[in-house]
Parts: sequence; structure tokens; C-alpha cells
Amino acid sequence: MPILDHLWIILALPLAGAAINGLLGKRWPQTAINTVAVGSVSLTFVAVAELVREFWQFSGPLPYVNNYFTWIIAGPFRVNSELQVDQLTVVMLCVVSFVGMLIHVYSTGYMAHEDGYYRFFCYLNLFMFFMLTLVLGANLIVMFVGWEGVGLCSYLLIGFYYLRKSAADAGKKAFIVTRIGDFGFTVGVLLAFWTFNSVNFSDIFHQLSTMPAEGATQVGVLTAIALLLFTGAIGKSAQLPLYVWLPDAMEGPTPVSALIHAATMVTAGVYMVSRMNPLFSRAPLAMLVVAIVGAVTALYSATIGLVQTDIKKVLAYSTVSQLGYMFLACGVGSYAAGIFHLMTHAFFKGLLFLAAGSVIHAMGGEQNMMKMGGLRKQIPVTYWTMFIGTLTIAGIPGFAGFFSKDEILEAAKSGPNANIWLWLMGIVGAGLTSFYMFRLVFLTFFGTPRYDEHHVHVHESPKSMTVPLIFLAFLSIFGGWFAAPKLVGGIDHFSKFLDPVFSAYPVPGAQAVAAEPAASGSLELLHALTGWPVIVAVLGLLLAWWMYIKSPETPKRLAKSVHGLYLLLLNKYYVDELYAAVIVRPLLWMSTHVLWHVVDEELIDGALHGAARTAQASGGELRKLQSGNARSYATWVVIGAVSFTVLLLGLWMAR
Amino acid sequence: MIHLSAEQALNLRRIAPEIVLCAFGMLIMIADPFLGAAKQRVLGWLSFLGALAALASVRFAAQNPGPAYSNLLSVDAFSIFIHVVVIVAAALAILGSFDYLRDEGIERGEFYALVLFAVAGMGILASANELVTAFVGLEISSIASYVLVGFRKRALISNEASLKYFLLGSFSTAFFLYGIAMVYGAAGTTIIDKISDALSRASATDGHFPPLAVLGLGLMFVGLGFKVVISPFQIYAPDVYQGAPTPVTALLASAPKAATFALMLRIFLLSFGGATDLWFWGIAGSAVLTMFVGNLAALAQTNVKRMLAYSSIAHAGYILVAFAAATDIGVAAVIFYLAAYVLMKVGAFLVIAHLGQRGEKRLSIQDYAGLGTRQPVLAAVFSIFLLSLLGLPATAGFLGKFFAFQAALESHVIWLVVIAAINSVIGAYYYLRVIISMYFWEPSKDYTPTPVAPALGVALFIAVVGTVYLGILPGRVLDFARTAADSLNLH
Amino acid sequence: METQPHLLTVVTFLPLLSVAALLLLRSDDHVWIRRIALAASLAEFLISLLLLRGNYSGAEYQFQEFHNWIGESIHYHLGVDGISVFLILLTTFLTPLSILCSWESIRENVKGFFIAILVIETAMIGVFVSLDLFLFFTFWELTLIPMYFMIGMWGHERRIYATVKFILYTMFGSILMLVAILWVYNRAQTFDLPQVLMLLQSGQLVFRQTTELHLFGAFFLAFAIKVPLFPLHTWLPDAHTEAPTAGSVILAGVMLKLGTYGILRFCLPLFPGAAHRMAPYIGILAIIGIVYGALVATVQHDLKRLVAYTSVSHLGFVVLGIFAFNTVSIQGAVYQMLNHGISTGALFLGVGMLYDRRHTHEIKEYGGLATPMPVMMSFFLFICLSSLALPPLNGFIGEFLILIGAYQQHHAWASWAASGAVLSAIYLLWAYQRVALGDVTVEKNRTLPDASGRERLILATMAIAILFMGIASPLFTRRMEASSDALLENMQVQMNHPQNAARPVDVPSRLSSPPDKLTPALAAVMAGGPGK
Repeated sequence: MPILDHLWIILALPLAGAAINGLLGKRWPQTAINTVAVGSVSLTFVAVAELVREFWQFSGPLPYVNNYFTWIIAGPFRVNSELQVDQLTVVMLCVVSFVGMLIHVYSTGYMAHEDGYYRFFCYLNLFMFFMLTLVLGANLIVMFVGWEGVGLCSYLLIGFYYLRKSAADAGKKAFIVTRIGDFGFTVGVLLAFWTFNSVNFSDIFHQLSTMPAEGATQVGVLTAIALLLFTGAIGKSAQLPLYVWLPDAMEGPTPVSALIHAATMVTAGVYMVSRMNPLFSRAPLAMLVVAIVGAVTALYSATIGLVQTDIKKVLAYSTVSQLGYMFLACGVGSYAAGIFHLMTHAFFKGLLFLAAGSVIHAMGGEQNMMKMGGLRKQIPVTYWTMFIGTLTIAGIPGFAGFFSKDEILEAAKSGPNANIWLWLMGIVGAGLTSFYMFRLVFLTFFGTPRYDEHHVHVHESPKSMTVPLIFLAFLSIFGGWFAAPKLVGGIDHFSKFLDPVFSAYPVPGAQAVAAEPAASGSLELLHALTGWPVIVAVLGLLLAWWMYIKSPETPKRLAKSVHGLYLLLLNKYYVDELYAAVIVRPLLWMSTHVLWHVVDEELIDGALHGAARTAQASGGELRKLQSGNARSYATWVVIGAVSFTVLLLGLWMAR
Repeated sequence: MIHLSAEQALNLRRIAPEIVLCAFGMLIMIADPFLGAAKQRVLGWLSFLGALAALASVRFAAQNPGPAYSNLLSVDAFSIFIHVVVIVAAALAILGSFDYLRDEGIERGEFYALVLFAVAGMGILASANELVTAFVGLEISSIASYVLVGFRKRALISNEASLKYFLLGSFSTAFFLYGIAMVYGAAGTTIIDKISDALSRASATDGHFPPLAVLGLGLMFVGLGFKVVISPFQIYAPDVYQGAPTPVTALLASAPKAATFALMLRIFLLSFGGATDLWFWGIAGSAVLTMFVGNLAALAQTNVKRMLAYSSIAHAGYILVAFAAATDIGVAAVIFYLAAYVLMKVGAFLVIAHLGQRGEKRLSIQDYAGLGTRQPVLAAVFSIFLLSLLGLPATAGFLGKFFAFQAALESHVIWLVVIAAINSVIGAYYYLRVIISMYFWEPSKDYTPTPVAPALGVALFIAVVGTVYLGILPGRVLDFARTAADSLNLH
Repeated sequence: METQPHLLTVVTFLPLLSVAALLLLRSDDHVWIRRIALAASLAEFLISLLLLRGNYSGAEYQFQEFHNWIGESIHYHLGVDGISVFLILLTTFLTPLSILCSWESIRENVKGFFIAILVIETAMIGVFVSLDLFLFFTFWELTLIPMYFMIGMWGHERRIYATVKFILYTMFGSILMLVAILWVYNRAQTFDLPQVLMLLQSGQLVFRQTTELHLFGAFFLAFAIKVPLFPLHTWLPDAHTEAPTAGSVILAGVMLKLGTYGILRFCLPLFPGAAHRMAPYIGILAIIGIVYGALVATVQHDLKRLVAYTSVSHLGFVVLGIFAFNTVSIQGAVYQMLNHGISTGALFLGVGMLYDRRHTHEIKEYGGLATPMPVMMSFFLFICLSSLALPPLNGFIGEFLILIGAYQQHHAWASWAASGAVLSAIYLLWAYQRVALGDVTVEKNRTLPDASGRERLILATMAIAILFMGIASPLFTRRMEASSDALLENMQVQMNHPQNAARPVDVPSRLSSPPDKLTPALAAVMAGGPGK
């Protein structure tokens, strides 16, 4: 089993790529850099493919763990550098390595004219390394290495155009905001170790297996751990209230947005929650929180997406929203659905971003949809692929997104811990999603050009960019069909494949996850095709069509009539401004004017200087005694003599 | 051919150092007229030779310990230790004074003679076991030093200092004399190591410690306190130390202190060992005053010579801390401190004497600016003295403080030790300020360094080596000090 | 051990010996002065590596040397254990680098400068190897003077104020420690640390609670000032800002550790009861320091001052780790001492290199440097990442161990401390952005030369150390384990002593209020044993 027993190879390949490009790439031609970068990730993909093959034949106990060396050891605290593989890992590996590879290829075209080319690919490979570490890690700490590592790469890549202050700011913001989440994550790990005396997944799960679920309203240790870890997820996966960094992250090159801020890194939170499913399943309260955060975020950011004009911003908020759906799925206990949507989302959102990138590329860097329009003739490939992506995300039946989203909403409505309100939010969100995505397509590709055709020379992107688009489009269509049989009464192969991971540690007492409702296939199919998700999707489509093709003036009139609401959405509910006013500025002010200038300088140093001055002054006073006059000196001697003898005699009497 | 009884011969051996010193002193006086003004340097060397001879004869005395002249003097390890300290101090001062005197144009034989006489007086102080004898020793050394202080005839400040010193000195020694009288009245004897028994007998008969003796102790303390420069009798010292020719200051600040502290120890611990509870508070209180006055006033000085004068007051305070322990460990600590203190203090003052240049013009701290680059070696040497005075580990000064504090702690006077500790930090500042001036300030333009003359060089070399040696390998000196303390056999 | 009988003496005094060599050179022969100083410090480093051959699996000191020094009670007693050995290595590792970084930046009185560095090295190593209270104090004080000269002679504008502040601050602390040392001697009649500890262990020597408290206070004050622990930290920013680069590197790299080391070596084993009773308050101060230092660092506009304040924050972690009385956190603390030495040392080296080019520490004088000097800025970022504890770099290991250990004792402490990670990201990345990113704001920066070969060598060495310590931490912690366990066990032994039984000092309840189910585990961890 060459790979299964040597999982490190999967990590070594991209790391080597990063190292080579980082150290030597500076003086190399682009072709050389491409070979190294794309080569390394392609090999990684090959390795993963081989891993899948071996995994299929493998019949031993899972997860299959490779342990290399003791990384940290102090007293009872011990961390090994160990990697593990199970079904969940396999899915993630496939998604990450394949999408990653495609995006590397795409980047060779997209970034061709940028300088710092080697830097870009060095970071990108490094990102692959950390992302794969995150996925393969067999304990919380190794996972955390990947977790923080991808954060670093995201920082570096968002700030890739570091000459732009906005880019540098965005990178910094991303890192810091996610770090706030990681603060919770860290404390979660601390509490986990305190509770289980281990940070190793299998150890923790093993101990958990005997523990009962905590009460739905009680915050026990498990709930506490779950919530703390989830805080990390909130930061990484840009959920409320820490989502603010993701829209800004669009400052990075588009392939980065596609890979890191859509397909892989931002889904780390979802992966983590699913990975820790034995824990979460025992913390119903935490589950509820996850679900609510997910649903609310899904709806909330969808509303913002309605009015954005920057093509990437729309996609960014859409990503936040879609991540919300994934958490909703996990929250209602259907991890499989969450991961399923994670995968399909990786395909179609990756596709959408890359397509958007292709559009921007075609428009010579223009990102404002209001300055586009009617592009479908000039860039047909981009147009068609993007259209497919849109159909998918909107949840039009037959496309990947349809299956995954349907499963989520299904779970929210009738799953183990269903909740109708959450379902409702999900439905509304789905409708909005469909609307703003078609709005995007219509504004970009339909209608009359709103750009200056003499200056902007629209051109289709090179093969290196379009080929990945086509691949992803293909996956966006068929990537969801694992679940298709379910509709005709069959079984969902995807969730069946993942089932071992999610039902390995059933909660004692609680009955196993309800089996597939046995119903007649045709009914199921009919039900699914006429279900609410489909209806709202179509409604969204029609509304978008009406507002942006049929009568293009409507939006403006609408914006006028409900101006306040419009501004509120346009300015993203003023959340950034709120944070700045309530947290950032007060903190800086206090640090400068209270801690530094008052406490340090006035109080502490002031006291010291005061003491010093007093000593000096009293010295000066004593000097004055030196009148230089012999008679006064004599007096002193007498005084001394008297006082001393008096003292002695006094003591003598006291004796 | 005079025939000496064994008794007399022994006595002579026991006061051999004093004899040698006086002999050389008179020799110089006699030789002086026969040598022209140009040859005065010879007398200098002669006096140095005298000091060395005296040092040698100390050994001679050491071999024949015991009471001399029907117990007027007691030649024991204690007095030997003090003799060595005093004579070494004097020898260094003599070496350091050659070129100073020449530059000041006051290179005259009697200077050296006076130094030797003064030292002889101190020798008597060190071994005196009888109060009147002690008084004689006190006077011999004092009168010689009054003259020495005024030796810069043309310098007004010097004459003034001499006069003040004389007036106040005689004033306070008068107190001492009264004290003696009263003690005699109370105890019926002036033999130091007999007094305590007498007093205890007296207090046994009339049920309480004789108040007259207490009064006497108080008055004697004035005379002694004046000589060792402790509060509240320190008041004159800065003027006198500053006015005196710097080599004399070096001598004044070191040797008499040592000798007088020796006498003080004898009187307080031997004669009044039974009244420790009485005088402890006097000593401790005086210690606190002395340390604060010395250190705080020194902070405000810009004239280095005057600053060092105050610093020597502060050091007397630290010595009192050990004194307050009132144990043999305390005694050992005091005299070890004296040994250390003499080396660094004489060294420091000699450096100043050199840097002061003709007419002692360059004494302000600004004049030392950039010395570190101008005269690196001299600056380094001076820094070592200063750091030792400051009490940096691996220097004599540190161990002096260390043992003093230890002794005081042994006797559980923690509060005093803590005050002393805090004082030594206050003190650190003004010593460091000189280093700042020497190393961190830009050199002052109008300064042409004068080369260090060999004689001074030797003196400084000895002082530095001594300072560092006592700082790193104090073992032997310490043992000597301990045996000296034991030789007082307190109980 | 008998293989190298006098290894420690050699390691301690070799630098001083090379000073003698330097003294022989003409003071304008800069080339050879530099070369010899560097050669000596490198030799010193290589020799000090021999110390790793000691056997640190047990608690007893290695390479011991014992001679009477002054009388019977003061000894020349040297020895190293798993804790001090690495601090020595840190010293010998940083010294050549600080010599190398002063290669060109020091122009006047070169001889004096390198002499100062080597003297400091001897003094600092002396502190780490001393097992006799007197000897320890001697070296402790000797570290001050050369640093005093270093800041005062080769420092910047306000150097005199800074250096006087530095030395008086420190002396004030240490003089009271001297009194305490003497007091201990009075009771134990020896200055030899192991002997004193033995007396304490066997109950032949017992301090009354108040006495112990005072003694602990006197020792702790000295160390807390050195660390520096809030609110005794105000000398540090000035000293750092004014010191020459090498001075800052040594100061931050090693000198601050003298304080934390002293706490570990003296405060805890000598006065466990007092340590335990004070722990809650000290822990709070440490946490304040972590947050406070970070916040104030964020708003600094002087780069060096900023880094100085980060030290306050990082050392807060170390103190917290120590006073969690837990083998994990103590090993973390020691590890964090090393990390801070490397990372902050490296930061100061970087800042110094900028200063060499532009002769200012003002952040606004820089900006956009990534364009003219990409290599140096990449290193700079890497160092920042290590300093903000990004896994798998060294900083992460130390911080995380401290947190894990502290959490065993006191949930709130660890949680507050963990927030330091967020803050460190804020101040470091913000500083990095203001220095490196964006357009070049000051014209004369446009032409600044990138890192020279010498500078690359320095920075690369640091980077490698950072990475190595991040990945190979067991090489270090395995050697620390025994010492830290022994420390905690000894403390327990003393506290459970019949004589001390009267004392109302039961540790867990005072230090933390964990759910009942884990208290036994906690007690076990307290004793340094395995958790559960």
C-alpha cells in the first residue's frame, strides 16, 4: 500500500513545490515555475487517486493512522505527528487535490502577466500543503497546524498585491479575525485535553462513546468544548459574527478567491465540525447553535448579495451564505449532507469564481457588473460554464447543487433534529440565492454593453483558463448524482459512503439516525421536483429575469422606493463600521491614552522620578546645613552631644 | 651601655612600630635642613621607607603579644590588624603625595614627618588599653593632622579648613576628656578592660548601673564620633576634607577613622559590654542618620572631592551597622570593612589628587568628562575604586558591606540592614554619575592630561590590586580579622 | 561526567579569557578585534555544546564542581540541570550573532564594545551555573555593569537616562535579595543551594510563614524587576530603545531570562509555601502583563519600543507558566524562555539592520520596504510569525504548553492568556504592514540595499533555529522533564512536611476550582506525575 502507508508523500509533494519555487523560482522563467507548481499538485492528485484505489481495497479498521514521530511531549501532554485516513478524509482529499490542481492550471493563465509569479505559486503550493495537513491530521494539534497554516497562506495571498493598501489591510483583517475564532478553538482544545487527557481524535472519540448526550438546555463540558471549537469554525468559515473578513478577502487574485475563499479553506470549519461529530452529537445545545448560526448566516448574507455590484463581492457573500447551509446541515445532525454540499459547492463555487475571473480578465480588470453587460457573445465558454454554475447554485433540478441543497433542507424539515424555522430561513435564502445569482448572470452577459467598447477589448480567456472551467462545469452538473438514486427510492451513495464516519460512535440511548423513509420512487421524485426548494429557485430566476431583462428600470425605482433598506443592504448592515466604532477605535484609544501615557508614563515612571527628585531635593536641603561657619558647627556638636547623652540616660532610666 | 630588663625589652618590642615611626620622623626633621629644596623628594622616600620599616616592625610586635607598660597598651591581634591598616594607608598617601606637593610647591620635609607622627599616634590609639593613653594617642594624631590640613599655606580654603578642624577638634576632644573623668569617677579605673568588671561590681552594690558612667560614655562618644565622622558630628568633615590637600584628605579619611574605630570598639565592647542595650540605640540611630546624611548630601554634590567626603561619611554609617551588632562577628566585620575601605578610599582620593592638577582646579564632575578615552587606564582604575565604594560584587567594598550586613543580621537588627541596603542603592547613583561623566560624556576641550608619576602609579596599583584581591579572595584577611576580633575576648 | 571535570569552569570563563586576548590588541586594530571576538564566541558555543552530553534523565546536577571559596560557608559550586543547560546554550548561541550584528554598526571604541559583550556572556553563564547563593549573586550583579556601559556608551539619544534607570531599577531589586540571601544563610549556615534545599526537605530548616513570605518577596522583587513583570516593566522599553542592537539582543535574549530562571531556581524551591500563597496574585499580574504589554505594543510608533513591549507580553506567559506549578506549564515556560530569546532576539536583529540603514526606529520613516528589500522583509515576516506563535514554529510549542499546563490549574488564567495570541497577531502584523507593505512612502527608502551576506547569514541562522525548535521540541523537553518534575516534587515534599503541616496551604483549592471529578487528576499533575 505505497500511499496508504506513506501518507506523508501527499504532504511532501506540494511542500517541495513551495520550497523549490520559493527559494529558486525568483530567477526562473514562468514555464519552469509552472512545471514545478502544477507538477507538484498534479502528482499530489495522482497520489490521492492512488490512495482512493488502495482505500477501496483496504478492509482493515478505520481510520487508518500513520504515526511518524513524537512532536510535542511534556509530562502527560503528548502530541504525535500522525496522519489518518477514513471516508471523510478521502472525500476532502479528492475535492482539495482535484480543485486545487485545476486552479493551479487556471492560475498559470490568469497570473501570466503578474510579477511575483513565483511568489504566487510558492504560496499556492504551501496552501495545498497546509490544507492537506488539516484534512489528514489525526489529532487536534496537527489539525490546528493546518488550520493556522491555511490562515497564513490566505493572509499572504490576499495581500499578494501588497502595494495596494486595501489588499494589505484585507490580508491582515482576514488573519486577525480568524485568529479571534482560533482563540475560542484553542481554549476548546485546552478544555478537551483537560477532559479527555488527550488531543487524539480516536482517543477522544473512544472516551466519548461511553458518555451519554448532555441535556438540550445544559452547558456541560462537552457542550462547552463543542461551542468553543465551533467558535474557531465561525472564524475560519466566515459565519456570523466573524464573516466580515471574507468579502474583503476578494482583494486577492481571483484564483485565490476560488481555491481558498470558496472551495477549500473556508470549508475547514464544516470539516472540523463533521470530524468532531461524536462530540457535537452529544452536545445538542451546541448543535442547535451551529444550526441557528448557519441558517441565519445563510439568509443574512444572501440579502446582502442582492444589491452588490462587484461581481466578486456577490460571489463572496454567496459563499458565506452557502457555508451557512453547510453548518445548518451539520447543526440538524445531517453531517453527510453538509459534506455533500461542501463538495458540490467546491465545484460550482470554484467554477463561478473562475468564470468571474475569466470575465474580469476579459474586461481587463473591471469588476463592476454595472459596467458590463451583453458579454455572452464575446466569451461564450465563460458564459456557458458560468450559466451552468448558476443553475447549480440556484438548485435547479438535475444539477449538483440541487441534490446537496435539497438534502440539507430535507434534513432541516424532517431530519433527526429538524426545526421548521431553520428550514424556512433556508428556503427563503435559497430563493434569494437564485435571484442574486441570475441577477449576476443577466447583468454580466445579457442586455446591452454598458462599457466603453473602444477601450475595453473583450476577449475569451486562454485554454489554460477555459479548460478548468469546463471540467468544473462538468462536475457541477454530475457531481451530485451520487445522491440521485435516492429520488427514485434508491439510496444516497454519498451519505452511505460516509456513514461509517458519522455513525461510528452512536450516542448511547438515542436511537440511530432514522433510516431512509421507505417510499415509492415515483412519489419521491415528484415530491422532490415540486418541492419548495425548486419552487423558490424558479421564482428567484423569474424575478431576476423580470427585473434585469424584462424591465431594467425596476431595480432603480425599487432602490428609490425603499431607499433605507437599499442603503442598509448596500452597506452590508454597517457591520464593519460598527466593529470599528465599538471595538477597534476604543481599544486603540485606551492603549495609547490610558495604558501607555497615563499608567506607564504618569503613574509608574512618575512615581520613580518623584522618588528620585525627593532624594535630590533632600540632599540639597542637607547641603544648606553646611553654613561653613565654625560656630554653628560647634553648636551642632553640642546638640549632638546633648541628644546622645540624653538618649543614653533616658534608656538608662527606662532600664 | 644601658641594660634593659626583660620586661622593658618586651615593652619596647611591643611598641616597636611607634618607635620606628617616630624615629624616622625625627630623622627627617634632622635631615631636612641639610638637604636643599631640590632634594626634598629624598625625604619623601625616606618617610615611605619609614612606613615600610614600621610595617616590618609590626610583625616584630606581633610575635610578642600581650600588655605593655603595665597594661596601658595591649598589643593583640586586634591592634596588629589596625596597625597594618593604618600604616598601609599612610604609606599609600605618602607615595601619592610626592608629585602633588611638588606641583603645589609645598614639598617640605616636615610634611612627611608629620604624617609619620600622626600614624604613630594612631598606632597608640589602636593598641591603647587605658583611656588617658588613648587620649594622648588621639591628640598626637589630631594635632599632626591639624597642621597637615593647613599645609597649602597659600590656599585660603586650606587655612580655613585647618582652623575649623583645630577648633572643633579640640572642642570635641575636650568632651572626650570629660567623659574619661566621669568614667573614672564611676569605675575607679581607666584601664579599658578593667572598667566593665568595676562597673558591674558598682551596679551590684548600688543595684543599678552607675549613671555617671553612662554620662561618661555619652561624652566620650562625642570625641570619638567626631574623629570617625559620624552624625551628628560629621558636620565639619566636608569643609575640612575639601580644604585639605587631597593626599592629606586621603590619609584623613582613612587612617584616623580606622584607628579611632578600633578604640571605640575597645571602649564600647570591653568597658561597656554590660551596657550594650543602652548604647546600641545610640549607635544604631547614629548609623541611620550617618548613612542618610552622607548619601543624600552626596547626591547633591557636583564637586567630586566634596562628594567623596560625603561618601566617606556614608561609609562610616555602614561600619556602624556592623558595630551595632555588638558581637565578635561584628568586630571582625568592622575591621574587615576598615581594611577594604582604606584601600578604595585612599585610592579614590589619590586619583582625584592627580586629576585636580595644580591648585586643585579640576574637581568638578564636568572636568572628568571623556576621561575614559583620554586616560583609559586611570579612568578604569578610578572606576574600580568607585564600583568598590558602590559595593559591586567581586570588589572589597562589596564584601565589606556583605559581612557588615551579615553581622547585623546575626544580631537580628534586620531593620537596620534593610535601611543600609536601601542607602547603598541611593549611594550607587552618585558613584555611577562619575562613571557617566568619564565614559558617556564628550571630552572637555581645555584639558591636557598629565602623566601619572611612577610613585603615584605604584600607590594606585597597590590600592587596585588590594581592592580586587579583597573582593575575590578575602579569605586570609577575613581569618586575620576574625582572630583579631577573638583576641579582644569579649563575653 | 568525570570525562570533562572542569567543563563548566571553562564554559563560564572562556569569554573572560578571550577578553584578556583582546586587551593585548591595539585598540585601533578593529579587524582583528572583531575576528578574535567572533572566533572566541564561536569556540565558546561549540564547547558549550558538550554540555548536552550530560545525563539529564535524572534530577541531579551535571558537571558539578565544588570548592570552598570564602571560609567554609561560601563555595565555588557549579552545576547544570535540564533547565539551565539550555539557557547556557541560548547565551552562547546568541553571543556570536550579536557580535556579528555589531560588525559594522559599531564604529568607535570597538575594543571596549566587544569586551563588554564577552564579559556579559561570562557573567550571564555564571548566573546559570551557580549553585551557591553568594556566587550566584556575584554573577547576577556583574551582569549589570557591562550592560550599563553598553547602553551608556554605544546607545542612542537618551541613552544615559535609560542606562541609569536600568541599573538603579535592577540594583534596588537585587540589594533586598542580598539581605534575604544573608537571612537564609543565618538560618542554614551555608550559601550552598543544594544543602539549603536538603535542610528544607528534611525539615531541619523551617521558615515561619511570615518570614518565608518576606524572603520570598525579597527574592521575587529582584527577579520580577528583571523579567520584567507588570508593573515593574518601565525600565525595559527605555533600555531597549536606547541600547545598541547587540545590547537589545542580549538584554531581551538572555538577561530577561535571568529573572524567570531565578524564580525557578530559587523562589520556588526555597519558599514553596509563600510561592503557593502568592501564586494567585502573581498569576493575575502575569496575565495583566500579557494583555497590557500587547495593547501598549500595538500603539507604539517606535519599532524598537514596540518589540520591547512585546517582551513584557511574552514574559508574562513565562511567569504564568511557572506559577501554574505544573510540569507541563513549567517545561513550556522554560521552552518559551528559549523561544523568546530566539524570536525577540531575531526581531531586534532585524530592527537593528533597518537602523543601520536609516538610523531611525520611527515606523513612519519606513513603509513599503518589501519592494526594495524583499529578502530581509521575508525573514522579518517569518520571525514575526514565530513570535505570534504560529504552528508549527517554536513560539507555538512554548505558548501552548504553558496554556495546557496553566489550564490544569486555573481555567480563567489560561483563557485570558490565550487572548494574547490574538493580540500578538494584531500588533505584529500591523507593524509588519506599516514597515514592509504598501508603496514606498519615504523616497530615500526606495534605494535601500537588501540584506547583505552577513545579514542573511544571521537571519537564516535564526530562521533555522526557529523552525528546528518548532519541529524538534522533544529534544529539549525530554531533557527538562526530570528537572521540572523534581522541582515540583520537592515543593510538595516541603509543603507536606510535618513541621509545615500546620500551614493552611492546600494548593488545588487555592489555585483553581475545577469540577470535582477531576480534582484527583489535578493533584496528580500538581505532584508532577502523569495526569490521569
